[in-house]
Amino acid sequence: MAEVEETIKRIQSQKGVQGIIIVNAEGIPIKSTLDNSSTVQYAGNVHQLLMKARGVVRDIDPQNDLTFLRVRSKKNEIMIAPDKDYFLIVIQNPTE
Amino acid sequence: MQPALEHQEEKDSQKEEEEAPPHELTEEEKQQILHSEEFVTFFDHSSRIVERALSEQVDVFFDYSGRDLQDKEGRHLSRLVTYPELLVASYSSNEDAPHEPDGVALVWNMKYKKTTPEYVFHCQSAVMSAAFAQFHPNLVVGGTYSGQIVLWDNRSNKRTPVQRTPLSASAHTHPVYCVNVVGTQNAHNLISISTDGKMCSWSLDMLPHLELVFKQSKSVAVTSMSFPLGDVNNFVVGSEDGSVYTACRHGSKAGISEMFEGHHGPITGLDCHTAAGPVDFSHLFVTSSFDWTVKLWSTKNNKPLYSFEDNSDYVYDVMWSPTHPALFACVDGVGHLDLWNLNNETEVPTASVTVEGNPALNRVRWAHSGREVAVGDSEGQVHIYDVGEQISVPRQDEWTRLRTLSKIQLNEVLQLWALKHIYSFSCSKSQCRGRTSGRLFACVDGVGHLDLWNLNNETEVQKSPRNII
Repeated sequence: MAEVEETIKRIQSQKGVQGIIIVNAEGIPIKSTLDNSSTVQYAGNVHQLLMKARGVVRDIDPQNDLTFLRVRSKKNEIMIAPDKDYFLIVIQNPTE
Repeated sequence: MQPALEHQEEKDSQKEEEEAPPHELTEEEKQQILHSEEFVTFFDHSSRIVERALSEQVDVFFDYSGRDLQDKEGRHLSRLVTYPELLVASYSSNEDAPHEPDGVALVWNMKYKKTTPEYVFHCQSAVMSAAFAQFHPNLVVGGTYSGQIVLWDNRSNKRTPVQRTPLSASAHTHPVYCVNVVGTQNAHNLISISTDGKMCSWSLDMLPHLELVFKQSKSVAVTSMSFPLGDVNNFVVGSEDGSVYTACRHGSKAGISEMFEGHHGPITGLDCHTAAGPVDFSHLFVTSSFDWTVKLWSTKNNKPLYSFEDNSDYVYDVMWSPTHPALFACVDGVGHLDLWNLNNETEVPTASVTVEGNPALNRVRWAHSGREVAVGDSEGQVHIYDVGEQISVPRQDEWTRLRTLSKIQLNEVLQLWALKHIYSFSCSKSQCRGRTSGRLFACVDGVGHLDLWNLNNETEVQKSPRNII
């Protein structure tokens, strides 16, 4: 458990990282470095996006599966590492 | 009206129930999850990937045209930026593609690994010189063979110039080998010099018009030009006849001021000292020439301070390091790139590399950082070299060491020059022999001349020709 905390701290201290959120398969946040309302907002939206993205990949090729999702916007980048039961969201401002 | 509303409300509340977010987890439940093995496995795997992704800082989205900085009304926010990773190179026409335009300038990006240029620019006449327009990050200036100065803009979607100077006697009618933007953000001009010696000064402020502000001419076949650091009025030019001239743009003495002789062949490259530091060396400049030498000069002296004679072919270009005061690079016609550090050694280069295949190297340019050198060859390739820290990074004492060196050299070199002059002068004939006896130096050459040189004091050399046998 201490390792998880340590890793989160380490990622958080990387250049430009704005927040880290860990969400379960249903879209409920388990751990977050952001405030509650932002966390809920990100978790809910990303969950929907993730389901859609996964659906796209599986639809085109049922043998395939989504492994990573990066959403680049004008202001920042949202990186999503999905898994069967959980997913990790990291928000970074790359130009900082 | 009422029933309809109620019906709607019912529907809404039903929807709400269906979409109600699943119950939030209690702190206990969260802790349970965080301790579970499957979570640890997941986190170990995904955090690894994410950390790698976070550290890869290459931003492939960057827009050099600045369109992303436009505000809502489409006006451009002014930026004063330089992009040290961009490199512009102009090329002679491609023999393999005769239908392509003669004039090509390519902008390369050294930050990315892609092997294609960032921007491709064309024009009708061969581009002899190209430069980024300082203070206008979107513009590239080109001097062409026809004498036209062209402007390209990386915001336009065309490869052709957005602005051209007129092809008339009021501008240039000869090839333009030198273009340079000098001045400050608020007061700058584009200076161009053609091989007939005409210098034109253009205004970039009234874009898209290039206005001719000033011109002066002296029949000097100019091949290279450089402005000393911080100077916008005085400049130095090298010419085809092997002489270097200082000149100035404004004032009562506008035009050519002084002549510096020393090279025995056309000057191919010229660069004024640029590395700013505790000692001012802005009076120093280096020249390269077809006579196989690179020479170090001071604007305070009509004769070279030193001559570097390690090359055995035409030396095509020379440039001071922008950061190290005693370091300069030169390139020659047999593929050699030499780095000379005057604080280290003045007889041979400190570092040297030969380009594979020994192509003639036409141009050498230091990157702004002073850590990389770009070399253009006769095959159309640009090679970028990394210069090791131990060579490229100046130590604290480099400036004072160079000052001491140049003071000594000023005295010694006059003697040295005298000696070398005789040798090189004589060796071009058949034989020569020289002996020193105290301060008297005798020299004979193969066509019957006996010259006695009297190296009396450190600054004077007396030649007394006797007995032409």
